[in-house]
Amino acid sequence: MIDLAGLSARALAKAIRDRKVSSTDATQAALERLRACHELTHCVITLEADEALAAAKAADAAIAAGRARGPLAGVPLAHKDMFDRKGKIASWGARIRAEHPAHEDATVIARYKASGALQMAALHMTEFAFGPTGHNYVLGHARNPWDPTRITGGSSAGTAASVAYGAIPAGLGSDTGGSLRLPAACCGVTSIKPTWGRVSRAGAMPLAPALDTIGVIARHVEDLALMLGFLAGPDPRDPAASAVPVPDYLARLDDPVKGLRVGVDATVIGDAHADVQGMVDQVLGILGKLGLRRAACRFPDWQTLDHLVQLVQLPDASAAHAAYLRTRPSDYGPQVRSRLEVGHFIPAVDHMTALRARGTFVKRTLDDTFKDIDIAILPVLADPLPTIAELDVAGGPSLQAAMGRVVKYTRPVNYLGLPTLTLPIPRSSGLPNGIQLVGRPFSEAQLFAIGQAYQREVPPEIARPLTQASYGASV
Amino acid sequence: MARSPAPQGGNPSAPEEPAAYLDMPADRRAAAKAHAASLSRTAGKVALELPLAADVDDFRRVLNTEARP
Repeated sequence: MIDLAGLSARALAKAIRDRKVSSTDATQAALERLRACHELTHCVITLEADEALAAAKAADAAIAAGRARGPLAGVPLAHKDMFDRKGKIASWGARIRAEHPAHEDATVIARYKASGALQMAALHMTEFAFGPTGHNYVLGHARNPWDPTRITGGSSAGTAASVAYGAIPAGLGSDTGGSLRLPAACCGVTSIKPTWGRVSRAGAMPLAPALDTIGVIARHVEDLALMLGFLAGPDPRDPAASAVPVPDYLARLDDPVKGLRVGVDATVIGDAHADVQGMVDQVLGILGKLGLRRAACRFPDWQTLDHLVQLVQLPDASAAHAAYLRTRPSDYGPQVRSRLEVGHFIPAVDHMTALRARGTFVKRTLDDTFKDIDIAILPVLADPLPTIAELDVAGGPSLQAAMGRVVKYTRPVNYLGLPTLTLPIPRSSGLPNGIQLVGRPFSEAQLFAIGQAYQREVPPEIARPLTQASYGASV
Repeated sequence: MARSPAPQGGNPSAPEEPAAYLDMPADRRAAAKAHAASLSRTAGKVALELPLAADVDDFRRVLNTEARP
């Protein structure tokens, strides 16, 4: 009997291809898990069971006839509800949504279809992807599968919860200020936020295009490698999609990692909660066991980076929503509305300064911070996993400070545009959390090789609800 | 020469409140302005050190030239 929930997408694809399990049975089982996950976590926005089962039946027929194509033929997946799909209207996690059904698929959806994968559902996200916790005051908050009183992280909340629960092996998300990394860390799974421009954004809901990055959340690093391999690359529909060659990430998964240098900025990490600093040390110990060498590094002033990324993001997002914020303000949830308002108070000169300075700061980071290191390690969350209630600040006076603390270690990396792999901490009995490994531009293959080696020491887990007694009252 | 009609309503000499078109309570407006002012101070410092030739496209150029695929 195959444990379908625990398989990677790559392994499930092989099982379907080898006819050890049919796509129909795999999809039926995945739909049941997704329904159960939704009961616990509120992870689904739209379930598309009939369409998925019909597609699975067609996939089985194609496999039987030897006509199946693509590395994920017949594999049931689900994605964040922010991508155009021909004939459908994505919710964007909002009451205000696209006015008309999409004329064509988003590039990433088209590339998934070409891989042979099926889509079973559109998954929960923070309203307009503009929130880092999984709170959604319009559609309801997402809940963490390890402990439903805790946040999932956002904005790709439903993808991370579903992956952690074992409903799907992987799914799409996006990251403008931490939206792939935070949910991956909060739910104890992995994610890749690729280099800005590595993956086309055509047909994806824009939040702040200068920062928006499409990526993948998965339990297994090999699935991140497999999927980025077919998602990445140039696209005439997105002029920002880079023509830098896409390596064969799967072929490089076992590249040697011994001797690579991992940078530690003690000043930046020193602002995290002591428990989180302990988690970073624990991961450094594992990386050391794998042969990576620890080295000191120094990022540009972290608060300056954090202010610059806000100067890019806030007016960018506010401009996109300018019309609706004037004409339908009450259709926004209180948190997103308050955050969108701030961009209207930022002078154009400051916005342009932040955009013009970006190349200088990236070059400085590569020349100085990365001078003697290959990757840098950072926390994802500054604190142990918060509860939904603790961060239920809506649009109140503590909003900026509370959200700023949540994205303290993620948002500045978006300004630099660098690729970032999130890995879960070893979770002996406590709540999940994660660290991020930041690489040089387009160095995703190296990050995957490190992640693959790490998962030999810290294997992927399926989330199961913990009791408070099992993780202690202190966290 | 005909005179322009006097503006109707409000004080024509008072500077218009930024984002006056947004329906915001006073406390939220004050918080947004304070946050923007804090960010603006950083932008001012960065601008002092930024070469005149710095360009928005530098970012993409650096990422591509420093690529390590």
